[in-house]
Amino acid sequence: MNTKQQNDMEKVNLSTQIAVIGGGYAGLKAASRISANGYNVILAPQHNDTDNNLAVLGVSAAETDRIKALENDVANDQNVEILPLSTLLEASGMPGNFTLRFESAGAVLEKSAGAVVVATDTAVNPLHQIYGLTPATNVVSVSEFENLLASETTRKAIEDGKKTVAFLVGFAHEGSPLLMKRVLNCVSDIVGMDGCSAYVYVNNIKVADDGLERLYTRCRNSGAIYFKLQKAPTVIQENEKLTVSFYDPVIRNDIELNPDIIVCEEVLVADNVNLGLAEALHIDVGPMGFLQKENVHRLPVASNREGIFVVGSAREVQDLSTSWSDVDNMMLRVRALIGDGEKSVAAKAVVDREKCTICLTCYRCCPHGAISWDDKAVISSLACQGCGICASECPMDAIQLADFTDAEMTDRIKAAASESAANAPKIVAFCCQNSAYEAGLAAKAFGHQLPAGLQLIQVPCAGKIDIHYILNALVEGADGVLVLACHTGNCKSEFGNTYAKWRINDAYQKLEQVGIEKDRLEFKTLASNMASDFARIVIDMEKRIGQKKG
Amino acid sequence: MIVAERKPFDEIKELIQGYKKVLVVGCGTCVAVCLTGGEKEVGVLSAELKLVNKTASDPASFGEATVQRQCDFEFLDELKDIVGEYDALLSMACGAGIQFLAERYPEIPVLPAVDTVFIGVNKDVGWYEERCKACGSCALGMTGGICPVTMCAKSLFNGPCGGTNQESCEINKDQPCAWRMIYERLAKQGRLDNIIKICPPNDWRNQKPQTLIQPGYEERKTAVE
Repeated sequence: MNTKQQNDMEKVNLSTQIAVIGGGYAGLKAASRISANGYNVILAPQHNDTDNNLAVLGVSAAETDRIKALENDVANDQNVEILPLSTLLEASGMPGNFTLRFESAGAVLEKSAGAVVVATDTAVNPLHQIYGLTPATNVVSVSEFENLLASETTRKAIEDGKKTVAFLVGFAHEGSPLLMKRVLNCVSDIVGMDGCSAYVYVNNIKVADDGLERLYTRCRNSGAIYFKLQKAPTVIQENEKLTVSFYDPVIRNDIELNPDIIVCEEVLVADNVNLGLAEALHIDVGPMGFLQKENVHRLPVASNREGIFVVGSAREVQDLSTSWSDVDNMMLRVRALIGDGEKSVAAKAVVDREKCTICLTCYRCCPHGAISWDDKAVISSLACQGCGICASECPMDAIQLADFTDAEMTDRIKAAASESAANAPKIVAFCCQNSAYEAGLAAKAFGHQLPAGLQLIQVPCAGKIDIHYILNALVEGADGVLVLACHTGNCKSEFGNTYAKWRINDAYQKLEQVGIEKDRLEFKTLASNMASDFARIVIDMEKRIGQKKG
Repeated sequence: MIVAERKPFDEIKELIQGYKKVLVVGCGTCVAVCLTGGEKEVGVLSAELKLVNKTASDPASFGEATVQRQCDFEFLDELKDIVGEYDALLSMACGAGIQFLAERYPEIPVLPAVDTVFIGVNKDVGWYEERCKACGSCALGMTGGICPVTMCAKSLFNGPCGGTNQESCEINKDQPCAWRMIYERLAKQGRLDNIIKICPPNDWRNQKPQTLIQPGYEERKTAVE
């Protein structure tokens, strides 16, 4: 047990150079903010063309001018080094001292960075196929239609032809305010043209953004017709002839219309460089290829690794203003992490270098990429989140967690399991402090009926619940053991509850072999606000075990 | 590394039947790396044994110790002051370690808690695959780094045999044909001429206990003896 080291403070020097990956509006803003905060910046644009991405997001002309000015400022900023069109090959190191290898303009460059900001763009995909449509001059995507409206000649052709334009939105996917805004801008243009008409076939109208409700209403008042349908209309494309038929729930009748042009919705998707970046940076990929998992414990812009931040459309579909508020959040986090480049940190987990057999289990299990190795495992104090998954998995018990060392846990288990409560069954509940422990405290505070023989043992994460602890609680005299973790997909350390579940299943097998009833051990998931559920779970266990005793 | 797996619990129970004080001895090298017999597993096995004995009328007691390597006398020596307190030693090391522990403390019964299964590699946490049979006649230089002794069901030094079927071995379609893999690896490296060369056969009669003395240490061995 290496308790002596646990309260030591470690002095760390951090690089004050910050890498920004992605040269779109979020990347430019990030580079400019970081530079203004006195740090050096390595800016690594991933694409050639910022204009395209601005169009995708329906950015106004005035905003585009501001971004162009920003681009110019960043290009002339002495503190910003731009690596044009670069690819990140590899990233190593820990927060404060990452080493990044880029390929840029045919050369391989190695750069150090205290923190990495991923600010990639979004891309747009057409969805004709889902409606059974083939792209044609009269069947176009929203982007293509925007281009038609932007060019003098095609715009005039639409106007002079007094075209009827049908928009299909929200049937192929849930949609977003960002996409709705672009559709409504087109609708607004069409209803403004003399003799033209706009029909919008729409499922849910997404107006949760500044001015969108107003834009929607203005279009309607100017003559746009919205058909709000539960399912997509049937569209038949026969050469030039387009037929849209559907059941109108308002007039309760089948309706058939023949528009001149169909504008088909699109979907905003993650930047195609995201997967490669995730691999190089060892960060998790979330839904749809965006770089943040859906996790209520994640603060905005946090990835699963300390020191690697994901902003703007790198983490979800975002418009300009939310992207830029991401940049503000990122700046706070970078300043808190890097400060002036020197920091004292307390180790949350310590490796006993004599015991470590460098099996790499900890390195492979750490959800935060906090572990590397020299001739033994090394845990970065800055990167470690103190979940304890590594400590529970280490086959040599060589990793000890501050305040939760094996010796301390053994004492707590012994005390809890031997606590006498007359004839009441003794129940030891291992509780994750992010959920079940809070729920347990709340259950006490709210005066819920709880078993007399219940003892809570707080753990930093369910991932810290070693199978040895579970068996030991029974050895020490507990009649029942509960392992209470966060809900699936809700673990602050991503996999702590999963590891706990696996260990419980392993423990069930072992209990069966030693002849102990399986129902003396139970795994449940809770959230911190589930005090009454907590009470129900522990009372149920007390009843079950009481029957055995009786 | 040497890979081992825990014996079925009932078998362990059977082995230690009748012994009242048992020391569970772990090994901090190969069997720790393959998550079978390091300090953690020693604690877990000992907790299981304690649980079984909770209800026994005449319960046995269990101690725990883990040494760096059970295949080194110097590390086994660390146990000398405590082994006397026990009726039996339950070793979680590989077969070599177990035997060396028994050799170091010949007066005490040494029992195995694990089965040694192979020499293998670590594919992921808890996932190991066999790669070497320790045949004493390495052909990897000829075979593109793929061992035909381990990977071929017939351990052929010159293959493939007539049982190669598409990419599989005749014994099982999920078992890839080793010589097919060797062919592909050699082709990739432009070394296909290797497959024509005859690999001299291993002298399987020579499968008696082996001793190795590294060159340069022969004189030391003589001097020590």
